[in-house]
Amino acid sequence: MTSSVLMQAIISGILVGGVYALIGVGLTIIFGVMRVINFAHGDLMMVGMYLTYFLFTQLGIDPFVSVIITIPTMFIFGGIIQKLFINRIIGSLPQNQILLTIGLGLIMSNSAMLAFTSDYKILTTSYSSSSFNIMGISISQPLALSFLITAVITLLLYWFFMKTDTGQAIRATAQDREAAQLMGINVKRMSIIAFGLGASLAGTAGALISPTYYIFPQVGSAFTLKAFVITVLGGMGSIVGATLGGIIIGVVESVGAVTISSDWKDVLVFSIFLLVLLIKPAGLMGKSST
Amino acid sequence: MKPLSLITGNTRGFSIPSLIIGIVLLGALFCFPSFVQSPYALHMMILLFLSTIMGESWNIIGGYTGQYSVGHAAYYGAGAYGTLVLLQKWEIPPWYGMWAGMAVAVLLSLIIGSICFRLRGPYFVLASIAVAEIVRITVLNTPAVTNGAEGILLSDLPPFKIGGTVITDFVSKVPFYYISLLLAIFTIVVTWLLQNSKLGYYVQAIREDQDAAHSLGISLSLYKSIALAISAALTSLAGSFYAIYIKFIDPSTVLSLDLSVQIVLIAIIGGIGTIYGPLIGALVLVPLSEALRSNVIAQGLINCGVVREDSGVGIFLKEHLAHAHVLIYGILVVIVILFMPDGVLGFVKKKSRDWGLGTGKGLDR
Repeated sequence: MTSSVLMQAIISGILVGGVYALIGVGLTIIFGVMRVINFAHGDLMMVGMYLTYFLFTQLGIDPFVSVIITIPTMFIFGGIIQKLFINRIIGSLPQNQILLTIGLGLIMSNSAMLAFTSDYKILTTSYSSSSFNIMGISISQPLALSFLITAVITLLLYWFFMKTDTGQAIRATAQDREAAQLMGINVKRMSIIAFGLGASLAGTAGALISPTYYIFPQVGSAFTLKAFVITVLGGMGSIVGATLGGIIIGVVESVGAVTISSDWKDVLVFSIFLLVLLIKPAGLMGKSST
Repeated sequence: MKPLSLITGNTRGFSIPSLIIGIVLLGALFCFPSFVQSPYALHMMILLFLSTIMGESWNIIGGYTGQYSVGHAAYYGAGAYGTLVLLQKWEIPPWYGMWAGMAVAVLLSLIIGSICFRLRGPYFVLASIAVAEIVRITVLNTPAVTNGAEGILLSDLPPFKIGGTVITDFVSKVPFYYISLLLAIFTIVVTWLLQNSKLGYYVQAIREDQDAAHSLGISLSLYKSIALAISAALTSLAGSFYAIYIKFIDPSTVLSLDLSVQIVLIAIIGGIGTIYGPLIGALVLVPLSEALRSNVIAQGLINCGVVREDSGVGIFLKEHLAHAHVLIYGILVVIVILFMPDGVLGFVKKKSRDWGLGTGKGLDR
């Protein structure tokens, strides 16, 4: 294999990894603030994909532009889910939290199946398969665009968490829920914002990936698993870790697909996951050992 | 306290009336095929027994030991593939292949246990899913042995010999009915024996408090592994039975994450850590999801006049509701977790206690 093929794989891995990072960051925010592992995360992404699909086919809105609509819609959707369901199980047994979110995921994916059948839908834009060359490496245009949007969103997110009052309040809640509450932070509101953010990030990832991926009701579970791998790799609750984890997984998948085979790339990803769990369960950026 | 209850013969769950009810029920189940010939009714009963076996076997590791494995499809698939691969490639009869499948499942459980039991809580759940996914992808990508994504279709079974009599009639569901009934009873007996054995007390101690159990000298990894191995062996039996009964398996039916989740839900919805829990779970889930699958509910809504058959909604329901039978699992698990944290069984018990009834029937709100 030539080095240009490898280089090509690494570049497209990083581009896809950007979207993975969004999914992972969403999961990690939810976990950080509520200590709830959201097994419906991939299904939230699926909802985002269908939303994008319908905005595109019905209203003709470009998938990358539709992010402006997807973000607030998914934020409200996530907030409602938090208020109705997740809020009731904060602090209960971890297995009950897992099962509740699995149940919510099943409801979402099966409702999608009920409404849209399990047919694969493909969103074809004029630039879906176009690409451009930089130094002999061809870069897919939709992937590059989505990476750009991902980078902007991630930067905005860092700014939000570091500079704004709400962002700091969310970080305080993540550090110590009770202490934050004693300091006068409305913890319940922060939880709603956190789940809303998580959902909108998942939905955005869905929107960004929809021009290059199949859309079907069960698409979520594969991404839920991927999101876990990313967050565990980066360290549960760490936003920087999840960003890094997303890009690492993107590159591992892409390079694994060219060096081994695309059939086995998921085995590679899961093996890395198990290794991280066994050797360094706190993850790359994790602070506490669990 | 214990010796006294032994003398009076009134051990937990085995009062004289419940014993009589149990025997009558068992008798009725054994006579069932001689009164009901409908293949569909038998099929439903077989599905019920199969779900019971899956729920009870998961209950051993999940309910009694407190280790929420969401990767039981790996063991189910090991049983199913072990049996059919041997039968298809080397014409080894399923009643030997079954044991091979079980051996694979137990071996797999030991490997999985050695990796996953070091982890706790959500990390254990995630690891169990990851391992099961690795198994699924491996089966999918070794078509030389497993036929890959195409799956294995079994055209005919070799004759089944018990003593002198040869059973060749595999179109009839009656033999399958009895095999699954016996397997379900076997699983329940194993669970009961475990619950009242030293091993059972050890694993329940682990469930309640791992550190406390460990400090009392209970080897965590040893007893968790034993519990998982028993659970895996029983789950593989269910898989083997499914493979021979349905005569077709592929990775997406016997190895999928959805199956792992369904296995967990059977136990959770009924109530974990009890013998009757998974039984109740199966009794709730199988008829409901089958009613959706066979369009009974859509047809019922139309017949009741809730929706008109020729209206858009009616056509829509008839066409789509059948595809969404898993939806009921999702709705039920959300209701159970939010409103009945001890499962349907625990909920009914609590309600009947609240109303001061001994064995009264609890009504859902």
